[in-house]
Amino acid sequence: MPSFSGGVVGGGVGGPASAPPRPFRPSRYVPVSAATTFLVGSTTLFFCFTCPWLTENISSVIPIYVAVIFLFTLANFCMATFMDPGVFPRAEEDEDKEDDFRAPLYKTVEIRNIQVRMKWCGTCRFYRPPRCSHCSVCDNCVEDFDHHCPWVNNCIGRRNYRYFFLFLLSLTTHIMDVFGFGLVYVLHHPQELDTPHAAVTMAVMCVAGLFFVPVAGLTGFHIVLVARGRTTNEQVTGKFRGGVNPFTRGCWRNISHVLCSPQAPRYMGRWWNRHAVEIQPPFLRPALTEAQLEAKILDNGIQNDRHSTRSKSSLDQMESQSADMEAPPPPKPDFRYPGLPRADTEASSLLSEAPPTPLMYKYRPAYSSPGKNHAAVTHPNKMTRGESLDSQSPSILQSSRQPSYRSEPSSLDGATVVGRGVGVRRGGGDRGEGPGGPGGIAAVVSGGVSGYSLTGRSYTSYPSSLVLSAGGSRSSSLRSAQTVHNPLATLQSEGTTDTSYKSLANQTPRNGSLSYDSLLTPSESPEFESAAHELSPLRPHAPLPSPAGSGRPGAASPGSPLQGYTSPFLSAQIAQQREGQLLQGSTTFSSPHRAYLRAVSPPPSSPPGPPEAQHLLHHNQNPTSRIPRNPSSSSSSPGARSLDPPVSPPPRGLSLSKSPVHIGETGSRHKPRPAGLGAVLGGGGVGGGQQAPQSTSRPVLANHTTSKPVGGVKKVTGVGGTTYEISV
Amino acid sequence: MSDPLFPDGTCTQQHAVKNRYQTEIFNMAETHSLQDMRQQAAVAAKVFVQRDYTSGTMCQFQTKFPSELETKIDKQQFEETIRTLNNLYAEAEKLGSQSFIEGCLACLTAYTVFLCMETHYEKVLKKIAKYIQEQNDKIYAPRGLLLTDPIERGLRVIEITIYEDRSFTR
Repeated sequence: MPSFSGGVVGGGVGGPASAPPRPFRPSRYVPVSAATTFLVGSTTLFFCFTCPWLTENISSVIPIYVAVIFLFTLANFCMATFMDPGVFPRAEEDEDKEDDFRAPLYKTVEIRNIQVRMKWCGTCRFYRPPRCSHCSVCDNCVEDFDHHCPWVNNCIGRRNYRYFFLFLLSLTTHIMDVFGFGLVYVLHHPQELDTPHAAVTMAVMCVAGLFFVPVAGLTGFHIVLVARGRTTNEQVTGKFRGGVNPFTRGCWRNISHVLCSPQAPRYMGRWWNRHAVEIQPPFLRPALTEAQLEAKILDNGIQNDRHSTRSKSSLDQMESQSADMEAPPPPKPDFRYPGLPRADTEASSLLSEAPPTPLMYKYRPAYSSPGKNHAAVTHPNKMTRGESLDSQSPSILQSSRQPSYRSEPSSLDGATVVGRGVGVRRGGGDRGEGPGGPGGIAAVVSGGVSGYSLTGRSYTSYPSSLVLSAGGSRSSSLRSAQTVHNPLATLQSEGTTDTSYKSLANQTPRNGSLSYDSLLTPSESPEFESAAHELSPLRPHAPLPSPAGSGRPGAASPGSPLQGYTSPFLSAQIAQQREGQLLQGSTTFSSPHRAYLRAVSPPPSSPPGPPEAQHLLHHNQNPTSRIPRNPSSSSSSPGARSLDPPVSPPPRGLSLSKSPVHIGETGSRHKPRPAGLGAVLGGGGVGGGQQAPQSTSRPVLANHTTSKPVGGVKKVTGVGGTTYEISV
Repeated sequence: MSDPLFPDGTCTQQHAVKNRYQTEIFNMAETHSLQDMRQQAAVAAKVFVQRDYTSGTMCQFQTKFPSELETKIDKQQFEETIRTLNNLYAEAEKLGSQSFIEGCLACLTAYTVFLCMETHYEKVLKKIAKYIQEQNDKIYAPRGLLLTDPIERGLRVIEITIYEDRSFTR
């Protein structure tokens, strides 16, 4: 028999892993008690003092009507309060066997041709499904998370949004009824206003009038949300400010989905019928039979080939699997063989589906307490990341030669630093923010949404720049402060990353991606060509005339580690000027390269994305700053390699913390298209946190390409740091 | 001599009892371990089939054949199972007349109908559980695999447990 499970208690008997019992906090129950008191109390007073006269003098339908509306309101209120919003059970330990320091913080997934990223939830130990968010008040990940409502002391999610919405509608109606009928009473008793009946009626009217404004505002807000197919979380964090919501099905279908869809099932507290299945060897083996058949049919030579290929692939798999058993370091072969993903953990199977963003490691400490292990974790991360990058570089080359290789921003060390730093902080702050959640988080939404408490947790899916823009709340500013400081600190401190970026950059020319870069930087192309196979990061370049140097406030001086922190506008200027130079002058350089580029413009499946992109953006950086090839340059390159179609530059307001988003999206382009690469460029350009400037140079760079994009890709970014790429 | 089981084991009768008891324990242990071996092989690995989000938040699982299962089961068989599950979940989430009527009825009865009636989704979930059980019994268990109902994981993954093949006859 279905029963309601309280939103407070996690899990049930016989259910999956659930949160440990949380301390009793009486302050959480104040708003819901107040709401209940006002609702029930006012209505009772109305029925006792106002209704008798109305029944006798106006109509007897009135109390029945008001009673029906009141009961409907109360029922929806109870459902919104007591119904499980769609809490995900904690993931089992074996879903998460992957090395904590290797797995990326974000995974991107394509929903209706729009890249959506899924963030790793450190508490629940899985990658949050789209639209899922972790509520710090309830300490649970909630499916289709809308918000945490203090007035019902429950999260509003997939399962109870409908009841919440109906509660708002019915409450608005009820308030209007009570106020209206009270007004009728008062208007008919102008001389008896000092009687208790009239006084109570007026008091009830005051309460009703007072609550009407915020409730009606909230109702209107949710009507708009339902029509647009958005959740409150998505609306206030500006996820779809760029305009494209992959979850909307049209106004009518959105409304019908909210009101008429089947009641979603509970995940927590289920009773499962454990049917004992006997599993004993020997087991059937279809594969061997197949092989035997093939062996019989085929010739010796072919048979040998097949066996050799099979054994090689199985050997690779075995190798990767066996290596995975080792403790870190050395780095996992998962990233060495992206074409052969290891799928024996949940997270790694996600990797296989969407190519990972390997350098955005999620902060995944020991199961119990993230904060405690913060210090312990970061050092191994730093130590091993350099190693992993070095070891990854040859693998990237190898993998890039495979036709099935997917663009992988493996060199995004800067991004890694940022992402991981952010992730680390968030991981460390996970527990800390929980108790602070209900206390201090002001409602960020304006207008009638005063009752919302958007918990800290709900922000963790979005970069803190969004939180900055949302403004207002203590926790958000704290987070943003942390994020702002971190990338700079980590970049400057990461000596190893510089090395590994260099090593990665060294290898990129071997992929034959020179032509595009030389196209951009004709004056240095001979040098580049000669240095093709070494590409030392410190190769001496004649400093290019920096045409935009004058106009570049705070332009990174050579030697500044923060070279990448140029504004997008200036990078565009630089790129345009370079383009001008290119078109005017150096046809000797440009034409052979253009021809080469044409030859190289690959079909969608083939381009080795990251090394080329890396290389490209490296060159993009070169005009701006010569000397040390900083992480930013190489990190910005992934995805920049292109064959681009003209792509609209992302908004300039991109912040540092947005880079993880783009990297994630870059990494997830498992359907590389020439058109898509332009968008990928945008993503890759923003990668590293300092690459916001690079992104705007892409559209200019795109003009260089001679290949026409196969299909257009519109890249839409929200300030929230989510980039959506839509193929047109 | 002191025996942990029978501290004051000087009495011969107690000795006899003790011996019998120990023998019994040993026998039980033996048979228990034999039963263990017979009943359940050791877990070798787990494969996780992720959700397929290409058409939104509808519950669909990826039909991509995991590489670990290549030597264990037919690709077609596996894909057939996943496809059937996807169809069942699509049926559960369909906005049809039944869900609409259920919703109206719930509204009219102030949701008290949920106390006595099973929702459409729950009914289909039961169907899915039965299907998975049947698949396990017929197809997966003989191959040393076990499907876990994804509802136990919050409809996020289908967990396939691969059991060790300790048979030495091959």
